Amino acid sequence: MESHRNEPGIVAELEALRPRPRPSFVAELDERAATGFEPREGTLGAGSERFRGLFAALSWRRLAVPAGAAALVAIAVATAVISISESGQPHPEQRFAESAGGSPTPPKAVPTHAREFSVPVPEVSESAGGELSAGSAGGSAAADQASSVGPYAARVRHRDVERSARLVLGVAPDEVRSAAGEVLAVVHEYDGIVLRSSTRTRDQGRAVASFDLLVPSRRLSDALAALSQIGPVRSRSDAAVDVTAPTIGLQERARDSRAKVDALIAELEAATTASERESIESELGAERDRLARLRSRLSAMERRTHFARVSVRVVSDPEAAAAEGGGWGIDDALGDAGRILAIAAGVTVVALAVLAPIALILILALGGRRAWLRRSRERALGRSPATGAE
Amino acid sequence: MTQVLASRTETAAAVEQISFDRLYRSSRDDVYAYAAGLLRDAGAAEDVTAIAFERAFRRRARFDPRRGSARAWLFGIARNAALDELRRRKRQAALVEEPTDLAGIDAEHPVERSERRIAVARALEGLGARERELVALRYFAGLSNAEIAAVLGITESNAGTRLHRVVDKLREACDGVA
Repeated sequence: MESHRNEPGIVAELEALRPRPRPSFVAELDERAATGFEPREGTLGAGSERFRGLFAALSWRRLAVPAGAAALVAIAVATAVISISESGQPHPEQRFAESAGGSPTPPKAVPTHAREFSVPVPEVSESAGGELSAGSAGGSAAADQASSVGPYAARVRHRDVERSARLVLGVAPDEVRSAAGEVLAVVHEYDGIVLRSSTRTRDQGRAVASFDLLVPSRRLSDALAALSQIGPVRSRSDAAVDVTAPTIGLQERARDSRAKVDALIAELEAATTASERESIESELGAERDRLARLRSRLSAMERRTHFARVSVRVVSDPEAAAAEGGGWGIDDALGDAGRILAIAAGVTVVALAVLAPIALILILALGGRRAWLRRSRERALGRSPATGAE
Repeated sequence: MTQVLASRTETAAAVEQISFDRLYRSSRDDVYAYAAGLLRDAGAAEDVTAIAFERAFRRRARFDPRRGSARAWLFGIARNAALDELRRRKRQAALVEEPTDLAGIDAEHPVERSERRIAVARALEGLGARERELVALRYFAGLSNAEIAAVLGITESNAGTRLHRVVDKLREACDGVA
């Protein structure tokens, strides 16, 4: 009895009560250990164990390398696809030409950094007096502007659009003069008018040729495309102002004025007294002056819509010389590298934006499942009864 | 370069295999004893032992020595397998536990020792699952208090205190039998 009170005695008895496996089970388990513990068919959860085994064999550290490599490959492929698809899109000049109704022209090799192309948003407003004022208006298609003018002009099908464009071309210093000649040839080919031209030579062989041109509006797109072929385009901007409303206003005022002149002439013929005739003649003279002014303004307006004002500058550009002579240079390489890096960064950000919430949900789900499993196991242990009296 | 990497991978795998074999050899009977002590069902204990080693073998790459001994890691896996078995049984049917083979004890040992052992065995049967698990880990599987603490996720002193209480309870039960 004393031994029961002695803890080491109880310990010895407990150790003696230690369950021992059957020799046949030990032999079977040893055999399975030698073959890498393949789950046995028909045992507890053999199917799920095999399925889990596929993932359990992989540690996070082992998964990290192939997962990282796969992510890098995916980003590289996406970047390549986007770069190729971007290079397959039409050049901004082509897009402009197409949108303006002209035929797309294959662009000359233009360095990436030189592709500054701006199409200002049209800003057209009608003042209280019916005069139309426009700020830095733009846009290529007149139809696009129908919604930005008043209802009076919006119902008009034919639009009167005043166009203008600015173009800066960069060529090698020794090619400025020949480029200037080409500009004049293009103006001639498209029935344009040279308002002003100048060529200036500066220090170190740098030269600038400037042109103010009028080009028929309907041929503007083709003319700009042809001018863009002369040399790499350093910058280009186009503007279009819808002058339909003021044109119609002028036309109507001229028509009213004409009608008033006719009426005054009829009154003059019917006048019987000298004073009456004198008064009508005075009024008739004033009205004829007004009609002449209106017609003059109308024809000026028509000229502005029929001819687009084009400003061309040809500047000497050492980079252009390098581009003409050596093709793809270190600057182009850096520019392209930067572009590719930007695309890769964009792809990464988009991928993260998509994957991060999914990963967060998965992590939360896995964490929740583990917590539930832990609680469930502990509950099972807590509920397990003793066989004897407890 | 590829050959060197492949050779290193093979070497690491071989070392891993050898150390797992060593763990298996040294712990096989202990894992079974723990599972049988907790579940009190020889068949289920065999299944749990087999599953525990299967899982441990597949997850051997995840073992991190900084987080505890290999035995503690193995018994953590075995414990989860045993508790899963308890959960499964509760879902399917009432637990049918095998009583300790007292006839075998009587036959193999002198009368006085047999009486003592029978008293301890009966006292053990009266323990709850949590207490039985502590006994199984300490006296059947031979884990240290530190290893028990790692398996149960408690502190070492807490493990020692709980064990002490269980042994006290067993002693009182034995005294009651006597």
